[in-house]
Amino acid sequence: MIRLENLHKRFGALEVLKGIDARIEEGEVVCLIGASGSGKSTLLRCINGLETYEAGRITVGDRLVDRASPQIREIRTAVTMVFQRFNLFPHRTALENVVEGPIYVKGVPRAEAEERGRALLDRIGLAAKADAFPGALSGGQQQRVAIARALAMDPEAILFDEPTSALDPELVGEVLSAMRDLADSGMTMLVVTHEMSFAREMGDRVLFMDGGLIVEEGPARQVLTEPKHERTQDFLRRVLER
Amino acid sequence: MIEFLQSARSYLPILLDGVAITVGLTVAALVLSTALGLLWALMRYSGIGPLVLISKGIVNGVRGIPILVQLFYIYFVLPEFGIDLTAFQAGAIGLGIAYSCYMAENFRAGLEAIDKGQIEAAQSIGMSWGLMMRRVILPQAVRTVLPPYGNTMIMLLKDTSQASVITVAELTMKGQQIATSTFDNITVYTLVALLYLALSVPLIVLASFLERRFAAR
Ligand SMILES: Nc1ncnc2c1ncn2[C@@H]1O[C@H](COP(=O)(O)OP(=O)(O)O)[C@@H](O)[C@H]1O
Ligand SMILES: [Mg+2]
Repeated sequence: MIRLENLHKRFGALEVLKGIDARIEEGEVVCLIGASGSGKSTLLRCINGLETYEAGRITVGDRLVDRASPQIREIRTAVTMVFQRFNLFPHRTALENVVEGPIYVKGVPRAEAEERGRALLDRIGLAAKADAFPGALSGGQQQRVAIARALAMDPEAILFDEPTSALDPELVGEVLSAMRDLADSGMTMLVVTHEMSFAREMGDRVLFMDGGLIVEEGPARQVLTEPKHERTQDFLRRVLER
Repeated sequence: MIEFLQSARSYLPILLDGVAITVGLTVAALVLSTALGLLWALMRYSGIGPLVLISKGIVNGVRGIPILVQLFYIYFVLPEFGIDLTAFQAGAIGLGIAYSCYMAENFRAGLEAIDKGQIEAAQSIGMSWGLMMRRVILPQAVRTVLPPYGNTMIMLLKDTSQASVITVAELTMKGQQIATSTFDNITVYTLVALLYLALSVPLIVLASFLERRFAAR
């Protein structure tokens, strides 16, 4: 469903992505792991059209991701994103955050969007917080609202960029369980994460990125428990030691 | 004291005519400077090369010229190119343009204070630039912009007195006229000062109210 071919991306003199090839099939949960600075966020941002790229191709379904084309907005509603720091709209309530896209981008009637929005908040266990502003919610609650906001667009896939990294440890579980619920419902997900337990349990496949390349990929269990490459082994050892 | 009140009673109707013009000029210049200031700030924020350059050029250019000179220019020089304006129109346009640059700097500061994550979130749900500005960026910028906006408004009110040099019959001009014919400088200028104060105090109260109101959330 999402296909990357020989993707190259540079920031000035710094080449961040050096030829990425990857495919994410419909309904798959793919976890992207790798050291900080290896280009994981940049990769997600390219797929969502938040960054341009110099060479290669990204396609979503049969659509080419090209930041300069007007079609890019349609792709962004088809592939939404959940950010490390939530990025909820602070001047709008939880429910307003969730219905913003459906109403103003997709033109869904307000009553219908709100009914659906409340159902989504209920699904992530936050029905009672519909009228709360983000500032009054915990990090875990904010991230769950952000997930509901992404879901409200009826996306074909959701990209997660370290969705639990900014959370206090005791709040990680509630976000992971919302993601687990999503994965079980068949959502296509590309997840950048340092939560190896989530990757092992929920990931259909794991991609390991290092130095701007995908160094190793395979079924989650295999990559995480019997990594072939030395660099993967080093990385996993360092992550698990923490 | 009684003498003061008696003369005040005879001057006040004339001065109140001036107050009406001052208020009208302030409102007209405020509307124009807000609209233009927003335009300059949005051009700058757009990140589109030529627009950024034009915006920077206008804001820095206009800020470098005294308001008085701008007013003279619009009132005395434009007619030579066939653009005839009344003194009031020239005053409103001159002050509006001059103040659009202060406004632009306020708005820019407000826009740039917004977390870049907001832009990404808006884009990631497919918002266009215009929709993002309207629904996400501007409503948040309003909070940071309001306190300096209130202050700029008060400065503008006081700077309308400069329009007296191009014969706009606003409060300061009326005061001058009475003072030169009566030599009653103390009474006249005390009244003029009190009237300006009476106009600015509500603005000061409004500005601090808005500030509190928007900081609350
Ligand atoms: N907008 C940018 N401008 C310049 N360099 C950037 C920018 N975004 C990311 N980088 C650089 O690209 C590299 C990869 O960053 P990133 O994709 O955020 O890595 P990761 O998410 O794996 O930690 C880093 O060296 C980072 O400093
Ligand atoms: Mg990152």
